[in-house]
Amino acid sequence: MKLAAIRPVSRALARELAVTALLLLGVSVVVFAILYLAPGDPLNVLLEGQSPRSQLALGMREALGVPQTWYGQYAAWFGKMLQGNFGNSIRTGLPVLPELARVGVYTLTLTLGSLALTLLIAVPIAVHAAAHGGTAGNTAATLAAYVLSAVPVFWFGYIVVYVFIHQFGMFPLISGTAAKQEHAWLYFLVPIFVLGIASGTLSEMIRHLREELSRVLAEDYIRTARAKGAPVWRHAFKEGFLIPVTEIMSAKIPFLLGGAVIVEQVFNWPGMGRMAWQAAQDRDFPVIMGIALVAAAFVRLGNLLQRVVFTAVNPRASRE
Amino acid sequence: MDAPLLAIENLRTYFYSRAKRAFIRSVDGVSLGVTRGETLGIVGESGSGKSVTALSAAGLVTAGPGVISGRIHLNSNGASRNLLDGLEKYARVTEQDGRVVAVEKDERGWRRRSETLMAGVRGKEIAMIFQNPRSALNPYSTIGKQLVETIRLHTNLKRESEARERAIHWLDRVRIDSPRLRFDNFPFGMSGGMCQRAMIAMALSAEPSLLIADEPTTGLDATIQSRIVDLLAELKAETGITTLLISHDISVIQRLSDRIAVMYGGTVVETGRAAEVLAPEAKVRHPYTAALLASIPSAETIRRKSYLQAIEGEVLDTIEVPRGCRFYGRCNRVTEAIRENCAGLEPPLGEVAPGHKVRCWLYPSPGKA
Repeated sequence: MKLAAIRPVSRALARELAVTALLLLGVSVVVFAILYLAPGDPLNVLLEGQSPRSQLALGMREALGVPQTWYGQYAAWFGKMLQGNFGNSIRTGLPVLPELARVGVYTLTLTLGSLALTLLIAVPIAVHAAAHGGTAGNTAATLAAYVLSAVPVFWFGYIVVYVFIHQFGMFPLISGTAAKQEHAWLYFLVPIFVLGIASGTLSEMIRHLREELSRVLAEDYIRTARAKGAPVWRHAFKEGFLIPVTEIMSAKIPFLLGGAVIVEQVFNWPGMGRMAWQAAQDRDFPVIMGIALVAAAFVRLGNLLQRVVFTAVNPRASRE
Repeated sequence: MDAPLLAIENLRTYFYSRAKRAFIRSVDGVSLGVTRGETLGIVGESGSGKSVTALSAAGLVTAGPGVISGRIHLNSNGASRNLLDGLEKYARVTEQDGRVVAVEKDERGWRRRSETLMAGVRGKEIAMIFQNPRSALNPYSTIGKQLVETIRLHTNLKRESEARERAIHWLDRVRIDSPRLRFDNFPFGMSGGMCQRAMIAMALSAEPSLLIADEPTTGLDATIQSRIVDLLAELKAETGITTLLISHDISVIQRLSDRIAVMYGGTVVETGRAAEVLAPEAKVRHPYTAALLASIPSAETIRRKSYLQAIEGEVLDTIEVPRGCRFYGRCNRVTEAIRENCAGLEPPLGEVAPGHKVRCWLYPSPGKA
């Protein structure tokens, strides 16, 4: 029984991984094409103010060993990438991969933390509303959550910065760099709180979980569970909770990453979003490529998790 | 004769229709008794209130206001309990000229109260099977697990392995082939008939005092329907379980019931021994029962290729209940002598013979009229 359940899951996992590989390839091609076609050459940025003459730029190009054609450039990048080398940042000269790993941890903390916070708020409200209908309490909570979700994250971020950091002086301004201090984890909570509350994820999460759970609670098999005196949650858990939660988590990861770019700017959070912002301004192609791939991989990881849970839980999915 | 296993007294279950801004009187003053060991069949068209009666008895009514008055006595294990005990405290019914005009009900409070009353009753004393068995079983769990859950909840077999053996035993008793293999099947991989057998096995595995079968053959193929009816008849003979059978199919009721109750417009219009009520030569019969019987295809009608007799008119929507007999608008046996009564006064459920009651002005019970 147990073994029979593992097979479809590993099959789904293998399929998802293959899709992920193809997708990352696609992402790298598209991002590369956009960068190549977009105005602005990293060399110009490097040489800006020093020498506008193209002769010098060509010489620089040769000295750096940059291939002439776009496919040559892509092939060179791709070849190195396969060996685990994402190149060096044009701006800082540091290798991209270790840099990404360093800032990626911050972004991961921020997004996963805010995802957890959103769930922590959304689940009780949604479950209560689905189980008891619209009571005064949960209607008020839902309304408050909707209003907060409608607030733009950058605005809310600045309000929080103003109130807690300027007015009360409760947190240091550069929360990420405060990591060495005592109770550093406390400072991490502010940006996590802002992204979790105001990224627009909260309202959709409440809505999705509430609709799904109340749909499931009205199913015939839940009536059967009640008729046989079994706990309802035991029967409603898989379809009414586990599946919708993983669905909404995987669907919301891209939005949280997008929100993270803004929140990292607002809070000086040394994460991938800020790095992406900086790299885009510098035309730092290797860094942009690396960030695009890591972000895409992160999003795919969410989908992968959702597929695996769905396949493990749903007997119909495993017989496809 | 000892007290009936289940005695429903003057049960009223109403629903509020927001669209029509009125109460739908699904069950409007129903009294029924199910004696130990018998099968009571409730028959009636869709909307007559028979399923709601059953759901009320099991405490499974979810829409509001739901059960608003009545008593449901369950007499089992030497104890008698009222499953609607204390309902008066939660539901205030305002009546005018014998009609309900307003209902105030603390639905959440009553639901909590009802859940405490039903704890240890639902599933254990009263087990239920439903229509559309494929959606009535949990699609995310194997039928084996679902049986084991019931067995561990309601019998003294608490160990997984024991419960498993018992579950397989029950799957075998409902004539499921190779029960050991079927144990690990999910409902979606099984036919409707097979799912209904599993449902029946699950209901009976708790060894309940009363089985409520709510339209057990609805949603199944015609050939499977008769197999399920056969199975219910066999299990009845083997276990002697008390059954409340609900069906719109009078031929199913005819095959399985000892006594029957015919429901129309939320009330019982005729009740009595099945053999007596449904006997072809019966002289006393409610016009609605007669109409239901006339709608069954018989060998005779098929040979003559004549059309089946449909009942004229629409089922009463039980929102605007007429002052007189609820069946008056569709009745074809109104005579001039009783027309005034039929139109203006609801007939009582009068006893026309020992144990045989009819709610019709055609048959005034002795002493009344």
